[in-house]
Amino acid sequence: MALTRRQFMTLTGGSAAAAVLFAACGVPEDELLVEPPVLMPEDMVSGRDNWYATVCRECASGEGVVVRVMEGRAKKIEGNVDYPVNAGKHSARCEAALQALYNPDRIRGPLVRAGERGTAQFEEISWTDAVSRLSFRLQNLRGERRQRRVVLATQPLSGHLGLVVRQFADKYGATYLPFESIEQTNLKTAVKAVFGQERPPDFDIENASFILSFGADFLNTWGSPVRYSRGYGNFRQGERERGTHYHVDSRFSMTAANADKWIPVKPGTEGLLALSIAHVIVKDDMGDSAAADALTGGDHSMLDPYAPDAVADRIGISSEKIHDIAHEFAEHSPAIAIGGGSAAAHTNGESSMTAIYSLNHLVGSVGVQGGLRFNPPPPLDSIAAPPSSGALSRWKTVVSDMRAGRIDALLMSGADPFYALPGSLDIRTASYDVPLIVSFSDIIDDSAAMADLVLPKHTALEDWGSDAPDFGPGYEMVGFQQPVVRPFFENRGAELGTRGFADVLMAVAQGVGIDLELGAETFRDVLRADARKLYDLRRGSVSAPTFGAFWNGVLQRGGWWDATATADAGAASPQQLDEFEEPQFDGGDGFDYYLTPFSQTGIGEGQRAHLPWMQATPDPITTATWRTWLEINIHVAEDLDIREGDVVKVTSPRGSIEALAFPHPGVPPDTVSIPLGQGHSMHGRYARDRGANVFAILAPLEDSKSGAFAWAATKVNIEKTDAWVRVPKFENTVPDLPVDEHHRVYQTTANDS
Amino acid sequence: MIPGDFQIKKPSGKQMMLLSTLGIGGLAAAVVVVLGLTWVISAWMGTPIIFASEEGPEQPIAFPHTTHVQDLGMDCTFCHREVTKSAQATIPSVGMCMTCHQVVDGSTEAAQAEIEKIRDAYSSGDPIAWVRVHRVPDHVHFVHDAHISFFSERDGVAPTAVCSTCHGSVGSMEKVRQVRTLKMSDCVDCHRDNGAPTDCTTCHY
Amino acid sequence: MAESWGMIVDLDRCTGCQACVVACQSENNIPINEEEHFNQRRAIQWIRVERYWEGEFPNVRARFVPIFCQHCSDAPCEPVCPVYATYHNSEGLNVQVYNRCIGTRFCANGCPYHARFFNFWEPEWPESLTNQLNPDVTVRSRGIMEKCTFCIQRIRRTKRAATKSEGDSSAETIFANPELERALSPACVNACPTDTLVFGDLFEMLSARRAGERLPKPKNRAQEIVRRELQDAENGRGYRVLEEKGTNPSVIYLSKVDKETVEEAVSHG
Repeated sequence: MALTRRQFMTLTGGSAAAAVLFAACGVPEDELLVEPPVLMPEDMVSGRDNWYATVCRECASGEGVVVRVMEGRAKKIEGNVDYPVNAGKHSARCEAALQALYNPDRIRGPLVRAGERGTAQFEEISWTDAVSRLSFRLQNLRGERRQRRVVLATQPLSGHLGLVVRQFADKYGATYLPFESIEQTNLKTAVKAVFGQERPPDFDIENASFILSFGADFLNTWGSPVRYSRGYGNFRQGERERGTHYHVDSRFSMTAANADKWIPVKPGTEGLLALSIAHVIVKDDMGDSAAADALTGGDHSMLDPYAPDAVADRIGISSEKIHDIAHEFAEHSPAIAIGGGSAAAHTNGESSMTAIYSLNHLVGSVGVQGGLRFNPPPPLDSIAAPPSSGALSRWKTVVSDMRAGRIDALLMSGADPFYALPGSLDIRTASYDVPLIVSFSDIIDDSAAMADLVLPKHTALEDWGSDAPDFGPGYEMVGFQQPVVRPFFENRGAELGTRGFADVLMAVAQGVGIDLELGAETFRDVLRADARKLYDLRRGSVSAPTFGAFWNGVLQRGGWWDATATADAGAASPQQLDEFEEPQFDGGDGFDYYLTPFSQTGIGEGQRAHLPWMQATPDPITTATWRTWLEINIHVAEDLDIREGDVVKVTSPRGSIEALAFPHPGVPPDTVSIPLGQGHSMHGRYARDRGANVFAILAPLEDSKSGAFAWAATKVNIEKTDAWVRVPKFENTVPDLPVDEHHRVYQTTANDS
Repeated sequence: MIPGDFQIKKPSGKQMMLLSTLGIGGLAAAVVVVLGLTWVISAWMGTPIIFASEEGPEQPIAFPHTTHVQDLGMDCTFCHREVTKSAQATIPSVGMCMTCHQVVDGSTEAAQAEIEKIRDAYSSGDPIAWVRVHRVPDHVHFVHDAHISFFSERDGVAPTAVCSTCHGSVGSMEKVRQVRTLKMSDCVDCHRDNGAPTDCTTCHY
Repeated sequence: MAESWGMIVDLDRCTGCQACVVACQSENNIPINEEEHFNQRRAIQWIRVERYWEGEFPNVRARFVPIFCQHCSDAPCEPVCPVYATYHNSEGLNVQVYNRCIGTRFCANGCPYHARFFNFWEPEWPESLTNQLNPDVTVRSRGIMEKCTFCIQRIRRTKRAATKSEGDSSAETIFANPELERALSPACVNACPTDTLVFGDLFEMLSARRAGERLPKPKNRAQEIVRRELQDAENGRGYRVLEEKGTNPSVIYLSKVDKETVEEAVSHG
């Protein structure tokens, strides 16, 4: 006899006599079952929670996390206090790894296409069958010497997963092509050119006095936001004097909102502003004179064309302001210049990045405290190479090869080119001429929907792995990722459910008959073998008498690092600056607005659109969720009679999409911004047919040097339609708090106590 | 007749019949409602003597606590080993049963059949759907270890001796049943008697 | 229990990154906020980051303010509840007893911070997502008011652990051990990348402030900050939101530093 409180209330209320008889007699069956243990692996029965360390793979920065596991189920993710990258803190995105693990739309076993390609009709097959089908096809292609016509596309991979994928592509002979919707290519080539470094530098924000950032939304989505935010907190209110931060951007991003000054410039002129700042610093002799000589090639007059008076109009700010910025930047030492994001996403992106990062040389903040520190490669040769990135130019070649029937197989993992390549490339129709498309995705995303064969991989919390972070902490480190829960579909047996991507590749290699030369049978053993090399170094964060204890220690602490092993070689000496290159835009007359797309806090560029927490995470600036909106200047909107929620047709030379208008004061009048990430045709119930895909209307322009995708170089026109849809936003969910002169909810002060 | 005066009309026989039927019917309905309410309220109060069945529910495997506790003299904490360390008492894993039942076969045929079920579960890996006997609602957070350590420290007894305070003499039950109501009054009375906090958020959060 | 739990929010550190919001949803079994919930203005966020606009383009600014239940010592929500489902407990927490709540929503009307949220629907998750739910936190059913609890389940759990390992569950003992401190701190505090949020026992500070006395010698890190920033009205950055309403909140905000003139806010989020 057990009544719930609600039943009792209903019954004593006498609302239904019949309910008395039926509800009180029988107890709902499920209430009697011992709920958690029934569906639980037997060996996990325990009333206690365990915290396991691993590495979060929800964003590229790879944060160290600890996962609370109870009864074999992951419950909560928190930062790993020991981990150098994030030191105990985590972003909103890390938490969502739980929803990736328990996502209701995860693929439950290997699939083979059953209907027309693209209709996402699949039949389930066994893993043995799936692996042998893939091996068979790859073996045949190899027999015909057509390995180069097999394209293997992944997200940029660091650590040992990157090793396995590279080895597979090398030994088999396939074309390996990383895919990044928002490319870091320009950053990397610029860092290589300016500092002679393979990896992006670490910014000592905490100890800096002045930060001048260009385009990079580094507190929100760019680089390693949690690492930068940790520094930023102390940059504002640490032991030292409060630092000053100026942000140059054509969009009012979260980073711009936090800066002391937001400097809106014309899109594509960020590099020009950097050169102009360099001119002022050199002319007023405020910087490092040796660096000034090197940057100008000894001839300071080469910077003359960039005098503030000459370029102010092109940049869109006054020459006095340029003067001020340059003086502030040079007079507050140490000062850091950070560039990335939309500033790197123009056709002159690489040269802009070069100019911006060269400013660090000029004010002498390279390799000093409060400046830039370089990331040494990890002490393991196998994973020393940083993750490579695939520029749009290479993808264009692949797509045209596909169309010409020169690609025999396309293998994709963690990459969704069918969603995120510019729409005008039309990879979808090109792919009809590819005989075999294979996806390793854990969810039917837009690319997996086109696949003939789907081999679903584990989510990060179920899989092994390692990470040598691209945006590292400035010293040697290797993060270790371990399965914190049993695979969710384990109860479906060994032939169904999911498998680790690396393990599948290793099995396929075996089926094809190629030796990956990894020296181990399973991915875990690959990691373990390299952990032994770390053990043999006899230094670093884990010291143990035996290798067994060392291995346990590494997994327990989430990785290995050696804070004393900093980059020994200093930066390369400054190189002469290039001339400014005018940015090219797609869209001439009739396309009046620059379109600055941006990554969202939650769903990023769409890779996390299937996670309801991420969809419901309010954008910091607009508080909008779940939809695609268009940020437009509040006065421009007034002139066009556009109000919040009006459905606006956004047309570029390459197509048009619809978005909900969101006028706000922080948008330059000649610019509009749309968040990336929505408009999936697949990708699970929370993402499907929701909002619009900005990639569809972006012009496939490239950087003139690196070939990287210039995703901020499209111009658009906007047109109000008759429709109106309420913008799902958190703003106004609660009534306004009283705001008046004296009783503000927020207060500001000029004092820095 | 003067205005304001009135005279009770004598009801006709037919009306009398109707009235008395209504009256009796009403009374009967009232009795039914009162009985019904009494039943529901007692069910809510959960006085087990009247309404709960004397026997506990049928379990998928007829696990005899009597054999293990009374005959073999095993401690509660031998199998429910997390009870002194965590909030849940925890059901032992099948693997733990197997530490003995790999070799122990049972003395009767019936017992052997039940032990065979455990071995089947172990080899197939399928969890056993035990039927839950003690259950507090989701909004109540009962913590076993805190209660056990309090009583065993105060009375200087082994943790095992504390279990029967709430669970009764499980060792003598063929089928485990609930002996206390485990309603809030039950909890709060005990908390008051023992000087434990009675703040709502002690248990409700 | 002589604690009075409180929080410090340094607005000069807050970047509005939403890490606290999602951490809270994960820890506290908050229902998924669907699109319709936002449209009906019924989304639930125990902690939210409000955004205030200031100025006009190009000198526009946005300010971020995290707002959550302020655990007021003289809370307006408490006396209006007809069933005593919300009250102030001895740890300085404004608690919400779900099994008492009958959903009158009087408390939500009374709360000047709008920190209380009502469950207009039965919370629903696809079956597989329920695996993530925190067993230490009640899933609130339809018709029940809910709000920030300062993660009381973590306080309870850590106090039990401290009693076992240290033989004492006082705030001093717990905060002397970084591991226990982290286990006790609310999910938002642990997540916050910029250390905007600081959690601690503010008993001495809050009671002195309530009595209008000088703040005593600080006993812990949180109290140090409070004393430094709240004592000196001239130079300190400390203030309490809507303090003039006499609610005596347990959350102390430190104002944003801005050396330039502050213009009037135009709207908020």
